[in-house]
Amino acid sequence: MAGIEASKGKPLSEGYLVVDRKKCCGCIACMLACSLVHEGNATPSMSRIQVVQNSFRCFPEDIELAICRQCPYPACIQACTTGAMQVDSANGNVRRVDESLCNGCGDCIDACPFTPSRVIWNHEKNTVTKCDLCVDAPHWIHKGGSDGKQACVEVCPMRAIKLVNELPQQRDGLGYNVNLRNEHWGWLGFPTD
Amino acid sequence: MTSGYAGKILRLDLTKRSVSIIDTGQYEQWGGGHGIGSAIFWDLCKDKTMSGFDPRNVVTIMSSPLAGTLSPSAGRCEVQGIGPQGYPTEWFTRSNFGGRFAAQLKYAGYDGIVIEGRADAPVWVNVVNDQITFEDASSLWGLDTKETQQEIWRRVTGDRLHEWREVGITHTTQKPAVLCIGPAGENLSRIAVLMHDGANAAGQGGFGGVFGAKNLKAISVLGTGGVRVANAQALIEAWLWHRGNFEYNVDAPRHRSPIANAPTYGPINNMPGSQTLVQVTEASRPQACQGCWAACRRRTVSSLANESHCMSLAWPLYTLSSAEKSRVSTLGSSRLHVADQLDRYGLNSFELLAGDFYLITLYGMGVLGPGKTIECDLPFEKWGTLEFKEAFMRMIARREGIGNDLAEGIARAAERWGRFKEDSGTGVLTHAFWGYFQHMEPRAEVDFSYGSLMGERDINEHSFSRPLHVIPDQAKLFGIEPVVSAEGIVKIISTKVLPYEGDPFMFDHGEGPTGIYSASRAKTIAWHRHYTRFWSQSLGYCDFLWPNFFNINAPDTLGATPEGEPKFFNAVTGKGISFVDGMEAGRKIWNLDRAIWILQGRHRDMEVFSEYVYTQPVSRPWYLPIYENGEWKYSDCIGRILDRARFEEWKTRYYELEGWDINSGWPTRSTLEELGLGKVADELQRKEKLGG
Repeated sequence: MAGIEASKGKPLSEGYLVVDRKKCCGCIACMLACSLVHEGNATPSMSRIQVVQNSFRCFPEDIELAICRQCPYPACIQACTTGAMQVDSANGNVRRVDESLCNGCGDCIDACPFTPSRVIWNHEKNTVTKCDLCVDAPHWIHKGGSDGKQACVEVCPMRAIKLVNELPQQRDGLGYNVNLRNEHWGWLGFPTD
Repeated sequence: MTSGYAGKILRLDLTKRSVSIIDTGQYEQWGGGHGIGSAIFWDLCKDKTMSGFDPRNVVTIMSSPLAGTLSPSAGRCEVQGIGPQGYPTEWFTRSNFGGRFAAQLKYAGYDGIVIEGRADAPVWVNVVNDQITFEDASSLWGLDTKETQQEIWRRVTGDRLHEWREVGITHTTQKPAVLCIGPAGENLSRIAVLMHDGANAAGQGGFGGVFGAKNLKAISVLGTGGVRVANAQALIEAWLWHRGNFEYNVDAPRHRSPIANAPTYGPINNMPGSQTLVQVTEASRPQACQGCWAACRRRTVSSLANESHCMSLAWPLYTLSSAEKSRVSTLGSSRLHVADQLDRYGLNSFELLAGDFYLITLYGMGVLGPGKTIECDLPFEKWGTLEFKEAFMRMIARREGIGNDLAEGIARAAERWGRFKEDSGTGVLTHAFWGYFQHMEPRAEVDFSYGSLMGERDINEHSFSRPLHVIPDQAKLFGIEPVVSAEGIVKIISTKVLPYEGDPFMFDHGEGPTGIYSASRAKTIAWHRHYTRFWSQSLGYCDFLWPNFFNINAPDTLGATPEGEPKFFNAVTGKGISFVDGMEAGRKIWNLDRAIWILQGRHRDMEVFSEYVYTQPVSRPWYLPIYENGEWKYSDCIGRILDRARFEEWKTRYYELEGWDINSGWPTRSTLEELGLGKVADELQRKEKLGG
């Protein structure tokens, strides 16, 4: 980990969201909660976590969960020319946006290597936004951050989202899709593998 | 505009292919969903006696202020209009469906849609935020419901299904929410459904045929906006309170089913994936409508019957042979295949269940079949197989052979064959009220039968059925003690049915003085009609979770009703209504509906069950609590019939409670004016149909 830190000069985040794609029920409570605690309204297009699903596809390919990976080499920060996209060292090194510095160029949206981009365009403010692990969530009832609670984690009825503090395996993003199912899941008639 | 509401209702004229806007504010007092739909229908449909297939039929598709927010299981979308399924009268009726359509409508900026007229050629309506177009549906006509939706997705969003797609200055990753018909609706079947996503169906009423008569193949809605919420923090807290106290904890459940993969136990503990009612043995996930934590359906590894639930899966369970049920072919499980086909055709699963049993019975009686009095070339020697089911569904959807009769609904088919009166008398045909299949046991579970008869269709509201019938029924099935005693459950429920709290005899299903013919039972029906008209059908609270009287996941087993319902509504809207305020709103809506039916010809003398309910005894156990010899117990209700005279006495008690004329069943002026419906009283008086 020291090598990673030294090579790019960005300290690792101390918090990461991981999901169990097979456990998700597609209710999008996470999306609704995210926009509620950040924007005060229920607006899925502004959610910093996106659930993309297809009613007619085979399980488990019917659902994709798009979460910000708090990348060790954050392309969004590298692309930012104003310093708006930054590592918040006061809050566990979470990668987040200082909207007061954002000029709305959108380069960070294009720079995100994942589809859909984890950087979200806020058309009302003409700035970008992204998952901040609920560090700055004015309508949330808990303290956020890497040592706090996230709205999406707390509202998920299937307990399919979890905050971890160790960097997940980066290759193919496998470390971000984990198995959160126990024997009670199997009792319901769902697969546990 | 009050928070929660979008502020606009789309009014579509299919004849002129024009769009106008109704200000939601004009109708906000009705709450949402059903209340607004009934009020709009009252205003816009001048001749309420027309057929459901008439182009002038006004169809409303209404969301609610809670749709699209984080209100648990409150995203149902309400459909209303004159429904062609009702027999012999096509009553003004309702249906609703889940999924995400109501939410997308709100995100696009609309509280609902009103549909009038008839297009001169097949169309589908494309709504993308404030852009509404009428599109040519000629190449969609003939596609099943799944093919239709996927083709519309492709046309609206291209093939970029996992990316951010620009929509004006906004964007979204979501697909359009589509409501469509299949071949059954195109062929004007009275038992055709409206379908959304995998299996969210507005099933009863025949609205699929209404869309077909209007040449309307589908409505697609894509919205990128949001829903204003008065108090986001209160809404989040309410969600966490609700889950924390009442949910089935998938990681550490308080109460598991007696055996693994036991979906029929779901109504007792709300475990996810349980509304399939049958065991799904292939790999799957639980699947939820938007904003619901109960996740009652599934998506499967084969994708067969994705999101199918309830009767779509129960029908093949009840009617496939054991060998067929066990067979897994290249098509996948036979049971799932039947449900999948049913949903693709867009057919009403209750009517197919009833029709399936009816036909095999008539075949066994020697009156139906090849060369028989009722000609029918179905392969009855293969009844119970997938082959029979496929032929049965296909002929109904396409109106082929005897399918042309069955597409009229089973009751009308029986009438065409000259058998309705006889078979309704013997119970061979179990359509107990208004041309609808009985659903629950009408001679004992009277909240269902009475409520359906006082209304216009099978109510399909399991508010009391889950705690009062399913609890003892499942106990018998698994050979265990009921999770709560008969006395315990009626006392719990009696504390929660405001404003009629404190009378446990409201739930006495016995035949004694406190039972199903009593004044207490009149209160039960009134409570149920008023609750469902507002809390369920106007605000979209789903029947699977609401009302919630008994909850085994709660430490004290007490459910979320009546505290929960106003909690979410007030957090979203900023209003401060009480549960009882909502009940009174429901009473107003119920009386408006009553007035519409009266203008359609309703009279007390029509409110009678099919003859078998009065003459044929209950022949299989149907467990319910009764009060007998000074104690409560669960009874199997075997041998019961409904006493005709005592039921008529009950009707009188019920009318009196509702403030209706006891001779006609018509609301009186004082009742209507007390509810702020003076203009409704004036109209009834003009038509000489006001209660005296």
